[in-house]
Amino acid sequence: MGSLQKYYKQSATYKIFSGIFIEFANFLDTLGKITLNGIEVLKCILKWQIDKKELFDQCYRFGITSLPITLSIVGMTSIIVASQVALEMVKQGGGNFVGLLMTMLIVREVGVIMSGFAIISMIGSSLASEIATMRVTEQIDAIEVLKVNPIRYLFVPRVLSGILMMPPVVIIAAVVGVIAGAVTSNLTSGLGYRAFFDSAWLGIYMKDLGVCLLKSVFFGGTIALISCSSGYYASGGAKGVGEATNKAVVWSFVAIVIWDMIFAIAFFF
Amino acid sequence: MSIEVKNLIKTFDEKRIIDDISFKVNNGETLAIVGFSGSGKSTVLKLICGLLTPDSGEIITSKGDIAMVFQYSALFDSLNVEDNIAFALHERKELRKKYTEKEIKKIVAEKLELVGLKGIEKKFPSELSGGMQKRVSFARAIVTEPNSILYDEPTSGLDPISSTLIEDYIVRLKEETHAASVVVTHQMSTITRTADRVIMLYQGKVVFEGTPEDMLKQDNEYTKQFVTASLDGPMKIISDN
Repeated sequence: MGSLQKYYKQSATYKIFSGIFIEFANFLDTLGKITLNGIEVLKCILKWQIDKKELFDQCYRFGITSLPITLSIVGMTSIIVASQVALEMVKQGGGNFVGLLMTMLIVREVGVIMSGFAIISMIGSSLASEIATMRVTEQIDAIEVLKVNPIRYLFVPRVLSGILMMPPVVIIAAVVGVIAGAVTSNLTSGLGYRAFFDSAWLGIYMKDLGVCLLKSVFFGGTIALISCSSGYYASGGAKGVGEATNKAVVWSFVAIVIWDMIFAIAFFF
Repeated sequence: MSIEVKNLIKTFDEKRIIDDISFKVNNGETLAIVGFSGSGKSTVLKLICGLLTPDSGEIITSKGDIAMVFQYSALFDSLNVEDNIAFALHERKELRKKYTEKEIKKIVAEKLELVGLKGIEKKFPSELSGGMQKRVSFARAIVTEPNSILYDEPTSGLDPISSTLIEDYIVRLKEETHAASVVVTHQMSTITRTADRVIMLYQGKVVFEGTPEDMLKQDNEYTKQFVTASLDGPMKIISDN
């Protein structure tokens, strides 16, 4: 019986299923830790345990330093889309709807999701590596020994800055995206700016704007929370820092796509 | 009594790292914990200061703060020396209420003077040598006036003169603060110059307890091997298998 068990443990079936089980257990473990950290952050915010100076610094980092890359990505995505649809729509007699289509696309999806991706690559990765480095160099242990709550000190300003700064970043990115779409449409199809912006206004609904802002709040908070959590549980030196950064990026990407799907089903299904 | 450890057990991945150890450290006394790498010395410190939770056993400490000086200083690299030392005073609500900003600056200056580093408040940790970083971490540790101070390999990686300086500060801090101190170390000079008592760990158990002089007598097989740095003896280098 013992040798049978030994052979069974060496079998591919056992290895595949045990591997899947371990991965699933790790997934649940990470999800649980992120959720608990989120609850702790929320508690601190509700108790107004906020370091205002640190919050201001993180808002600057989240909002200002991320702007060039965010605006570039949203602007370029808009150029890519407009250069492919504007001429075709004008040819088919739908030139009056190019502005409407571009605005709706940017406000509902491109602006917020592309900004999210830009923020993950620019800010999320740096948050994760910063906190992971603090973990592996025992700086977080030092915070705990000094009886300071590391969630309050490290997470709260970062998560709150994500919540506060993502909406203005998305609004600016959306404006840049619409302008880039108008310029591209004009250059590729000769569509006048007046014609573009006349229909552009028709593509903006209050509901769309509200959902866009709500999504950006959720995206900003989620990216910061996942990135901080990934760094917080890092271990094992430089390799651990790399793994934490990788985890932050992958988890944040998946999380914002899931949020996006939830919002799409909840508001537009 | 300031620190009392009773029947402490800690297991990682089914491997018992700390196996039923007990000891006491009184106020104004320094206990050195020695042993091979991987013998569980640093784990004991992390258990005492609450970074780890024991599987079983009891840790009783006097009311008040426990400070820890980390092996690699663990200074906050984004903060300057002043903000590092004043970290607890700025971030802990009860201490923030207790001191004005002017008083905090004064306390920081006093602590820096105590560790012989007057006037470096505005420098960042990356601008300091290893020995200076260690002394700043001493200053940060004592800023809350702790009842107990834990030192995790305070002289490892330092040159002999810096080591002597650090050892002198450990003795001086004990005299000034009258705190119970626990020093985890490999270095004989640190043991003989700072410790009042020594315990030696091997495979998570206490295999020797006595004074540094007792340790040097070499009438215990374990301490004899440790002091002579011999490969022959009851202690074997532990492999993962």
